[in-house]
Amino acid sequence: MNIDDWKSQIKRGTLEYCILLLIRKQSTYGYELISTLENYPIMAAKENTIYPLLRRLLKEAFISSSWQESSEGLPPRKYYTITDKGLEYLSAMSAEWDNLIHTINEIKGV
Amino acid sequence: MEAMEKTLNNYLEQIDKYLKPMPVSERVDIVKEIQSQMLELQQNGSLPEQIIERLGSPKALAKAYLGETISKTHSFSWRKLSAVIAFYSLAGFGGMMVLPFTSICGIAFMFTGVLCPIMGIIKFGAHLVGIEMPEIGIVYNNYTVSAAAFLPISFVTGIVLFVVGWLFWKLTIFTIKAMSRGKKKLVC
Repeated sequence: MNIDDWKSQIKRGTLEYCILLLIRKQSTYGYELISTLENYPIMAAKENTIYPLLRRLLKEAFISSSWQESSEGLPPRKYYTITDKGLEYLSAMSAEWDNLIHTINEIKGV
Repeated sequence: MEAMEKTLNNYLEQIDKYLKPMPVSERVDIVKEIQSQMLELQQNGSLPEQIIERLGSPKALAKAYLGETISKTHSFSWRKLSAVIAFYSLAGFGGMMVLPFTSICGIAFMFTGVLCPIMGIIKFGAHLVGIEMPEIGIVYNNYTVSAAAFLPISFVTGIVLFVVGWLFWKLTIFTIKAMSRGKKKLVC
């Protein structure tokens, strides 16, 4: 039985949703996002997944970015903020997500 | 800000090198973002070797950026073509058979597809001002298609060729998508 393959498929399909949810909660930068996701093994993803994904979300204008200086001699960080278009997309995703959960529960017979 | 370690600088230079097909502004931004994380990790006490291990090989990281760029936009552009070529050179042996064939066919067919009606228009235009251009046209045994008849034929042929080229191009993108998906399975 290989459940890992299925888990990675789930992650691939839902990572974008999780990232947008996190960015909606508060503006954040790449490393912080990756660190947050590390707390959730099912959604943990490496730099080579997250950064290109952020880049695509930027291109599609679901998020915007700005470089901000940080304190205590730390390097400037690239902060991501959700856009109106992103909020719209996110609410459509949320509706589909609820629909999926509902469907699965119904099929399971809960 | 602490000084960058030499190994980390080398890493960033390699990323920059692999991302050559991207516009300079994007490349600078990507490198700056990775550098920002490197410095933050360093500040938190990570050693340069640990940082590099965490980020993975520069080639793989650059490839992830290129793969996302190619497969998520759907139009044809020269920028994208160079990204396809760069990705292909990083993709290694697996893509050696399929990708050059499909991408070259795609471009060649689309190019001739555009060329065909242009030739039709040139021949017809020349015909109108009284110049015959036997170097352009269709000759079948002893029968030569007239300039007026050649014009619509050239358009139809052009469209057919272009569609074939476009399908080859789609196939190229599809293959790359499948390949970067295969890779993702390994990293996730």
